[in-house]
Parts: sequence; C-alpha cells; structure tokens
Amino acid sequence: MADLDETARKLTLKLVYYGPAMSGKTTNLMRLHDLLSPDLKGEIMTLETQNDRTLFFDLLPLGFRTPSDWLIKLKLYTVPGQVAHDATRKAVLSRADGLVFVADSQRSQGINNAESFQNLEENVRRVGLDFGTLPLVVQFNKRDLPNVLTEEEIRQRWFAAPWPLVMASALSGMGVRETFVKLLEALYPVLDKNFSLSKVHGTDAQSFINAVIGINAVTGAPLGNSH
Amino acid sequence: MEIRTKRYDSALSLLELLSGVVPDKLSVALTILLGAPARVVSADGAWVMGNIPPLSGNVRRLPLAHDLETVGFLETSAPDEAQVRAAAVILELFMRSGARYFMASEMHLEVVKTDYEELQRRHEALIASEARYKALAESLEERVKEQVSTIASAHRQLYQAEKMASVGQLAAGVAHEINNPIGFIRSNLGTASSYVQKFRSVAEQVKSGDTVRIASAWQVADLDFILEDFPSLLQESIDGADRVARIVSDLKGFSNIDQAEEEIVDLNDSIRSACNVAANQINSRADLKLMLGELPPLRCHAGHLSQVFLNLLLNAAHAMNKRGEICIQSGVENNQIVIRISDTGSGISPEVLPHIFDPFFTTREVGSGTGLGLTVSRDILTAHGGTIEVSSELNVGTVFTIQLPIKQGNP
Repeated sequence: MADLDETARKLTLKLVYYGPAMSGKTTNLMRLHDLLSPDLKGEIMTLETQNDRTLFFDLLPLGFRTPSDWLIKLKLYTVPGQVAHDATRKAVLSRADGLVFVADSQRSQGINNAESFQNLEENVRRVGLDFGTLPLVVQFNKRDLPNVLTEEEIRQRWFAAPWPLVMASALSGMGVRETFVKLLEALYPVLDKNFSLSKVHGTDAQSFINAVIGINAVTGAPLGNSH
Repeated sequence: MEIRTKRYDSALSLLELLSGVVPDKLSVALTILLGAPARVVSADGAWVMGNIPPLSGNVRRLPLAHDLETVGFLETSAPDEAQVRAAAVILELFMRSGARYFMASEMHLEVVKTDYEELQRRHEALIASEARYKALAESLEERVKEQVSTIASAHRQLYQAEKMASVGQLAAGVAHEINNPIGFIRSNLGTASSYVQKFRSVAEQVKSGDTVRIASAWQVADLDFILEDFPSLLQESIDGADRVARIVSDLKGFSNIDQAEEEIVDLNDSIRSACNVAANQINSRADLKLMLGELPPLRCHAGHLSQVFLNLLLNAAHAMNKRGEICIQSGVENNQIVIRISDTGSGISPEVLPHIFDPFFTTREVGSGTGLGLTVSRDILTAHGGTIEVSSELNVGTVFTIQLPIKQGNP
C-alpha cells in the first residue's frame, strides 16, 4: 500500500515488475532508467548473483514534487523469476500499488507465462491484495525474436482479460515506456481517490504522468535530468 | 537496544546507512583527505557521526542524498570544492553500499521467516495427519468389527429375503394342493347331508310300520343307490383329509427353518417332503422319478437341507422347455451321503456355469428370483461340511451332486 508520511510530506508508491524467469524484467527497468527523466531519478540498485540473475530484486527510484510541494516517490521493483524464489517474490509483491506482468512472447514460453501469471494471482491474494482492483499492465516482451506468438494470437488469447496489453522489445526499448505509461494511467485514479492528488496537490492525471516520465507539461519537451 | 521493525523497503536514516562504518576511522580518514576537520550530520541534525562538536570557521555543507532525498550533510572547513565533492561522493557510495546490505539482509530475514512459517505450517499439517493415522490405526480393529457386523447383518437380511421368496413359491403350490381335496371333501359332505335327509324320510315310514309305505318310500329315496354310494363317498373324503394332513406334515419340515437345534433325520424323508411340497409345480412340467437308497440317519438342520432340495427341485422344474424327467437318487458312496438331482431340461451354458453359485447371479427376469437360491444352498451345505457340484450340457440336462459327511449320534 502507498506509504503516506504527513510530517515529511512524502508519498511513496511501490510498483512491481513480475513475470517468468528471463522474460526481461530487469531489462525493462534499465531501459526505463535511460528513457525517463523525472525531476528525481536514482541509480538502479541490483541485487543479483554472479551470473546476472536477479537474486532478491532490482530497484529503481523515481520521484517528483507536486505543486503542493509534496514529494511523490515511485519505487520500481523487479522480482526474481525462478520458481524457487517464491518467498522472495511474495515479499517483493507485498504492499505493491501497481503491477506490470512481463511475459515472454516466444512460442516455447507459453507454459512458463501461464504458470507465472497463476503464481502472481496466488501471491497477490496471499499478501492480502485484491487482484480484481490492483492496477496491472500485461507486457509481451521480446517481439524482436523469431518464433514468437503473433500479436493477433496474443490479443485473441487475452481478449477477455481486463488489463491493457502492450507489445514490447525491452532490449531495444520499444514499448517499455508505453507499458509504464499504461500503468501510471491505471494507477492515477486509485491515487487520486485515496490522496486527492488533483484537489489537494494540484496534480491531474496528465501532469502526474508527465512528471514521472519527464515531459514538460507546457512545452511537451523532455525535461533535463536534474540528478 | 532498539527492536528493529524495519522492512527491506522501508526508508533508511543516515545512521542506518552508515551503520557498517567505524565512525572514528571514517572521520579521521576524511580529515586527512580533506586536510581540514570534517563531520557528517543527519538531515535533522539529531545525529552526528563520532559525536564531533560543531566546526568553527568557514564551514561548507554538502547534502548527502539517498533514495532521492537528502538524508544528511558533510560539514567541513576544507577550502577545495572538488575535494569536498569527492568526499561527499565517497560517503554516498558508502551509504549506497550500506543500503544494499541492509535491504538484502532484511529481505533475507523476511524470506527465511516466510519459509520457516511455511515449514512449520507443513510440519503441523504432518503432525495432524500423523495423529489422524494413529487414531485410525487404533480404532481400526473396532471399525473392522463394526463393518463385519454390518455386513453380517446385511447377509442375514438377504438370506431372509431368499427364504421368504422360497416360502412364497411354496405357499402358492401348497394352496393349490390343499384346495383340491378340501374342494371335493366339501362337495362330498354336501351330498352326505342330502343322503341323511333321504334316510330321515324313509325313517318316518318305518315308524308307521306299514310295509307297503316303507317299500314305496325306499323306492322314492333310492336308498339302494345311497347305501352303495355313501361308503365310497366317505372313503374318498377320508383319503382327501389324509392328503391334507400329509401336506401339512410335509410343510412342517420347512416350518422349522429357523430352528437352531440339530435333529437326527433320514434325508430320504426330507427329499419326499420336498417332492410333495413342490408336486404341484413339478407335475405340470415333468415326471418325477425317485431312486432312493438306504441312508444312515444324519444329524443336521433338517429344515435347511429341505430348503436345498426344494430349491434344486424347483430349479429343475423351471429348466423344462418341454415335458421331461427329474430324477433323484440317493445312496452312500465312500462313506458319504450322495444325492444326485438330475433333469432333462435346457441345461446351463458354459459361460454361465461358473457363476451360478455367485450371489445375485440370476438368468431369470428381474424380480422373479433373488439370485441367491444356489448361493444359500451352497452355504447351507458348506455349513454341514458338505459340497455341491454341478455338471451340465446345453439342451441335454443338468446334474447337481450333493455330498454330505455322515454324522450321527448325540452331541
């Protein structure tokens, strides 16, 4: 759940990139680090094993100040995808405000995707969150690889699902920002309802998204990186 | 000592971020590197590394950031800005390293705790399951006994049902057998009472003493015929009454079916009773031939064995497609009582033959047989230490062979 600190005038949000092993969750975070330019942007902190597999999680902090001079921090986490790390995934998932499910588009990965998604659903329930209302975006990654499901096939399969679908190639950056923006769009109404972002903090949906991804609301030009 | 309630994703203070560093050594190193006194202060000024007192002179303050926020300041009177910035960068790297360590260790604790809880949960489930099995094992004997008694009681009920079915068949046959003599006895008695009426009319003339009138009345009443007919009418009625008495006596053999006591009987008598009881159903379908040899008296449940004979006789009668012959032989072979019941009926097919003693196996239409007749028969013979065997050929006939060990004398 979002962490509201009245004294420090600070709202901290937790966004989690979930998905099967090797589907590109960490790559998503690395590209976001390069692509986004909010007021405040930290370095990616990775906790990985020697062969670059995520051990506990990766963390990318982003932040901006509202016109009401509140600090809004978004902490982007990835989970370790390997099946064995379920307790870690559960711990990372707890208190999440929004989710991106990174699926692997390769035809051979259908079962892994399905199992991971089911695992996500179970863990969301186990950490006491409501899967029905939690903001979620589904990303189909690795569109650049051969032998992937076609977009038509994917859209047909997910036709009945209520979540936005984004095609991506995290390696090249394609679809990475779009995925994140879709998540922010789904996240904003919840935040606005709980924390009156628009009324009290003078931040509407568009300015919220612009501030996080780093576009000047007036000129539309990318903001400079202040960090 | 403060109890740590932090989580891996909690915000960290400067003190926590630098908790892995020896404060005095870092302070000394900073002072040497910067060539001037330096100290590290938390953002709210509440904590000072190494408790160094405030510096005097021209002091610079550089913010120390972690996780997008300023968590502290580097204060120094060193003049070289580049040097001071470099020192701040080194401190931030320390802090970052501290954060990494902190998050990893907290996450580790959380994961270990979750795994441990999961293990405990499974352990408890295992213990509960073990207890269940233990309780089950302890009560197993009792439950088996319970089951056995349930099955035994079901068994008894089924056998009772089979007996009722036999009795039902019996009753139909017996009713016919008794109805017949009763019918003609009743008719004879009616005739007899009209004869008495005629005797009375002659008797009145006899009292008058007039021989002419007596002779005339004798003629009118046709007493010559009556005197001839009356005795045969009575004899016929006596025979009929004897028939009824015999049937009733035969029935007695079946009435003691539930009698637990054994009695000593000649099985030939039991066979004859069964034949008499089944006579009505046999006579319409087959000729009955009895070839009964001399048998030693046998101590047995006579009612039960009568039920066996009746079962086999009725089966034989049912097997007749056209009028045939049923033959019962009895005798002693190899010190065993052997009874053969053969018929010239339709026979039993080889596929059916192995199943005829199976409970509920029946080739008759649903509702017309319990499928227990032969099962019960075999069980009765087994209980007497005997056996029953069958051989059959389609369209030729069937032979049931019963063997019983000779058992006599008083218990």
